[in-house]
Amino acid sequence: MSRLPEPKVNWYLPAIFTGLGITMKKMLWNLGNRSKMQTLNYPEEKYDYSPRFKGTHILTVKKDGSLRCTACMLCATNCPADCITIIASEHPDPTVEKYPISYEIDMLRCVFCGFCEEACPVDAIRMGPEWQVAGKNGSNFIYGIQDLAYRPQLKGGIQTILDDGERSKAGI
Amino acid sequence: MPKCTINGKQIEVAEGTTVIEAFMKLEQNIAHYCWHPGLSVAGVCRMCMVKVEGNPKLQIACNTKVTEGMVASNEDAKVKEAVEWILGFHLINHPLDCPICDQAGECGLQEYYMTYGKYDPAMAEKKVKKKKVVDLGPTVVLDSERCILCDRCVRFTSEVTKTNELSIFNRGDHAEVGVYQERPLNNNYSYNVVDICPVGALTSKDFRFKQRVWYLKDFNTICNGCSTGCNVKAYYNENGFYRIKPVYNKEVNGHWMCDTGRDMYKFVNLEKRQTSAVKNVNGTSEEYSPIQATREIGVLLRKNVNEAAAVLTGQYTSEEYASFFATMKDFGIKDFYHWVNNPEKMEEFDGLLLRGDRNPNTAGLRAEAKKANINLRNAKDLDPKKHTLIIVAGPEVQAFYPDLQKSVDAWSKSQTLVWLSSCKNPVLFAAHWIVPMKSFVEKNGTFVNYKGIEQKIKKGTTIVGEALSLDEFAIAIKGERVDVEYTSPLGGLA
Ligand code: SF4
Ligand code: SF4
Ligand code: SF4
Ligand code: SF4
Ligand code: FES
Repeated sequence: MSRLPEPKVNWYLPAIFTGLGITMKKMLWNLGNRSKMQTLNYPEEKYDYSPRFKGTHILTVKKDGSLRCTACMLCATNCPADCITIIASEHPDPTVEKYPISYEIDMLRCVFCGFCEEACPVDAIRMGPEWQVAGKNGSNFIYGIQDLAYRPQLKGGIQTILDDGERSKAGI
Repeated sequence: MPKCTINGKQIEVAEGTTVIEAFMKLEQNIAHYCWHPGLSVAGVCRMCMVKVEGNPKLQIACNTKVTEGMVASNEDAKVKEAVEWILGFHLINHPLDCPICDQAGECGLQEYYMTYGKYDPAMAEKKVKKKKVVDLGPTVVLDSERCILCDRCVRFTSEVTKTNELSIFNRGDHAEVGVYQERPLNNNYSYNVVDICPVGALTSKDFRFKQRVWYLKDFNTICNGCSTGCNVKAYYNENGFYRIKPVYNKEVNGHWMCDTGRDMYKFVNLEKRQTSAVKNVNGTSEEYSPIQATREIGVLLRKNVNEAAAVLTGQYTSEEYASFFATMKDFGIKDFYHWVNNPEKMEEFDGLLLRGDRNPNTAGLRAEAKKANINLRNAKDLDPKKHTLIIVAGPEVQAFYPDLQKSVDAWSKSQTLVWLSSCKNPVLFAAHWIVPMKSFVEKNGTFVNYKGIEQKIKKGTTIVGEALSLDEFAIAIKGERVDVEYTSPLGGLA
């Protein structure tokens, strides 16, 4: 690796005072206009994100409460962080045929890009509005089907808009 | 020998050649489902439409013979329009379940839809629903909705295996492929119908839902299931091997392979493998690195040169035998034995491909022994009491050796029994040393088939990093340095 070039000027005090000056100005302004302050007192105050915010994933469910996911692995294929792991299996109902017996997202590797949601052909995965994924040291950040589809916040699961069973009955 | 012009290119073909064969010879793309070079012509899918000059109507290339001066083309706008409509008809009742279909990624419908898709389908009627997940037998599952009734599978069972299990039942849009009552598709070549099915109608029970095909990489090699030596493609990724498919070779296997050969990938994956060398003394086992173990065996061998023997099986490559024989002769070993799994069945043949000699390189072993001036004796005559040290280059596919346990037990009566094995097996713990070997997908070399055809196997990946090949064993046993090369399954990212 080559070294950084020698700085042309050795005077650093003017820059320091300029910086301190900006900080001072902002602080005094903030003290005078507390209601217009840009920062929040998180976690007491929370920011209102748009409803389209891409937060923690949700696996949608069908009317009967079973997973919508067909284990096609398109989300896993599209995921740039390679953090989705699916194990597919044979469903007892031949009209369903294939379903995931294990679906895991490593939340710490996920970059929340939303590519999984875009890839899914059957509206089985969505990125929900939750954005606070907190946990203690050593918590399990690899979310399985229980967390993704049936965590308490989802109140029994979010229903999909695309139900293959119904489509099939309608002859589509 | 008629001359013709295909898509503007001239070619001279043999009498009786069909137009589609001329297309193939010129490597011109032509859509087709029902035509298969290994089967008779059916002419039912109508995808292979071509325009023949002087003929007012389009014709199918698979059932039209080339005549002198014929000018045929499939680049015409008329042809494209016709094929678009035909593909549209094929898809009228198609369930479009690519997301759950194992064929997705290597499907004829997906492939041709790119060029000939109508994208805005004109069909407004309801789809005809058919049976899904139909169990055809122990190996194959049928999805009638995805079937395009190309008849390839039916022709395969009637022409190649001559077992006639499959047939097309009913008429019109109710037509379905199926088996007769109580006569499941159950022959030793059944997986070939999965390969030739151009869509996802026939899927393999063994591979079903294990992987999406785009996660797999492949390389060409030779099947090690029997002395025919079928040319195959092995599919794998970083988690191991998943399936084997045949590769066309006119001299050896044609288009097909048997179901026994399809299982060969199962003996190479990590969960089946011996991963380190083991020394068993008085009921306790000690782990060694393979090279260290081999060196210690070398020291023992030097002490027991006159009473030592080597037993070989036909499951290694010719190159490995050559270097093994050379080393053993340097040591001064005189007794070499050939262990044959099923001597009474050696000459058996099922009439298609599978041979009774379930070793890929029996001919190579004999040839190398001859070259090295070694008299291979039958392992049945081996007397363990006479030998203080026996080195056995054990079989890679132990399932083919019914007398495995008997042999290990018998030969372990010798003072030291060294067993070289790629697979782990509790039976082997009667041996005093076990050294892990490479499997056939982890090394380069030559197999000589029953006819004497030399074929190369290829190293595709590394599964057990420390495992040795027989020639590396031969170097290490002399106490010399071995560089074991590692190929990452991720492709060079070791
Ligand atoms: S949001 Fe992006 S990184 Fe996260 S799981 Fe989906 S595709 Fe992968
Ligand atoms: S979530 Fe959607 S894209 Fe991912 S495997 Fe399930 S069905 Fe396929
Ligand atoms: S047969 Fe081909 S087009 Fe049909 S579902 Fe399977 S992959 Fe898709
Ligand atoms: S099952 Fe496959 S091979 Fe058999 S007729 Fe249907 S599409 Fe053709
Ligand atoms: S390939 Fe010619 S009709 Fe099917």
